[in-house]
Amino acid sequence: MPFRQFSISSLIFILVFLIQESVINQIRLPGGGFSLPLLMALAWAALSSPMVGALTGFIAGFLMDLSQGSSGAMGHWTLIMILACYAFAYLGFGNNQVHGSALTDIFLITFASVLTLFAFAVTGLLLGVSVGSFSGFLITILSNGIWALIVAPLILPIVRRLHRVLFGKQVQV
Amino acid sequence: MRTGGEGRTRLLLIILIVTSLFLITLDLRGVKILDGVRSGTQNVLSPFQRAGSSVFSPFRNFVGDISRLGTTREEIEKLEAENAKLRTKLLARKNADGQLFQLKSVLDLAGRASYRVIATRVISQGSSTDFSQSVIIDVGTSSGVRQNMTVISGDGLVGVVKESYANSALVMLIIDPDFKVGVRVAGSQQIGILSGNGSKRAELQLLDNQNLVKVGDILLSRGSTNNRPFVPGIPIGFVSSVDNGAGSIAQRASVILYPNFSALGVLSVVLSAGKNNPGDALVPTKPEPVPVPTVTIYSTPSPTPSPSTE
Repeated sequence: MPFRQFSISSLIFILVFLIQESVINQIRLPGGGFSLPLLMALAWAALSSPMVGALTGFIAGFLMDLSQGSSGAMGHWTLIMILACYAFAYLGFGNNQVHGSALTDIFLITFASVLTLFAFAVTGLLLGVSVGSFSGFLITILSNGIWALIVAPLILPIVRRLHRVLFGKQVQV
Repeated sequence: MRTGGEGRTRLLLIILIVTSLFLITLDLRGVKILDGVRSGTQNVLSPFQRAGSSVFSPFRNFVGDISRLGTTREEIEKLEAENAKLRTKLLARKNADGQLFQLKSVLDLAGRASYRVIATRVISQGSSTDFSQSVIIDVGTSSGVRQNMTVISGDGLVGVVKESYANSALVMLIIDPDFKVGVRVAGSQQIGILSGNGSKRAELQLLDNQNLVKVGDILLSRGSTNNRPFVPGIPIGFVSSVDNGAGSIAQRASVILYPNFSALGVLSVVLSAGKNNPGDALVPTKPEPVPVPTVTIYSTPSPTPSPSTE
């Protein structure tokens, strides 16, 4: 990925992070709400090559680590997001059967978001992060999935347009 | 297409993973640079959070009300009926009045215990997708707020300052799964440790197996050396159920915490406590029972004819 595209992608994710911290976190959404950088990064990775996916995960994860609400060690979200976005991009890249329709993309993003959160919690246990009671953990995971299902259709067209403007239609490896 | 840049992609992936592992190691070893990066980010973010807080405050209350609709439906319906005429006017003032009430309650509580406090507003709530429970308040080191200071609301203990920045501070809430506080039972002076559980219900473990608690017992903070992180005597919650399992070393209990964590608006940070321990002075008073009018009916039995005996 050329430097120009990396810089612009970083700026987009900084803006998303700012929206998360100053807008979404202000509204006490039922069930704990959702993480916009997480969903944006997954949607971005869904349209990208594995290399761009990994870099996107790195940018988004690093920003999520900078959040004061982050309970994990610095670098924890970075690690999880690199792996999640890389895997998501790797499994679906160039495969029209996987990314065939918008509906499939929405369900894949939702599923990936839930899986990422689960991976964060499990690796967090190894790093000494408490996740509270099991029921609370399940509620957080489930409500995050529901929010992802609601939010993904709203952000997907925006992400697609931004991605097309930035990368064009050519394949970025 | 994958094979062309596969080597480069793998190399990049390895570099990124190593970088993140490097960051984790540095953080776990307590390297100060990373704290500086986080606090720098918070200093940059706090004006945006402040602006967002003022813009979205009425909407936040609206969403909060909807999320609690199931539990307070009856109460809401009653209030709606009573306030139908004033609703439009009240909507505009609701936010300000709510904050004023919270401020009054918290100052009353602090005043009774002779605590020196600084009032503060919650400007951001940490996302629970991290499984932590925290809020960011709009006072920091410039107002004398330091790490490990007690944070209270009008109802009682809310949390403790985890990090302090120039104009904001991160407060770890008592409901955070990592939160632990020494408590004593009002009246009986038994002591125990209260642990957060991610919800309004916390867990109490008594330290002495000779002691027993019962449902309804009120818990107060036990206090720390030099009053940090906890000042003594702050109400925390009441015992809702007791686990008397035969296998447990000491008695455990479930505790319902006093503060309403879904409506935290105005809080106070305790800058210093008085010389005297307030003891049980801050124990919340029980609501006065509303007298129910009873109707007594007196009736005089009519004389019944007794069977004649001849």
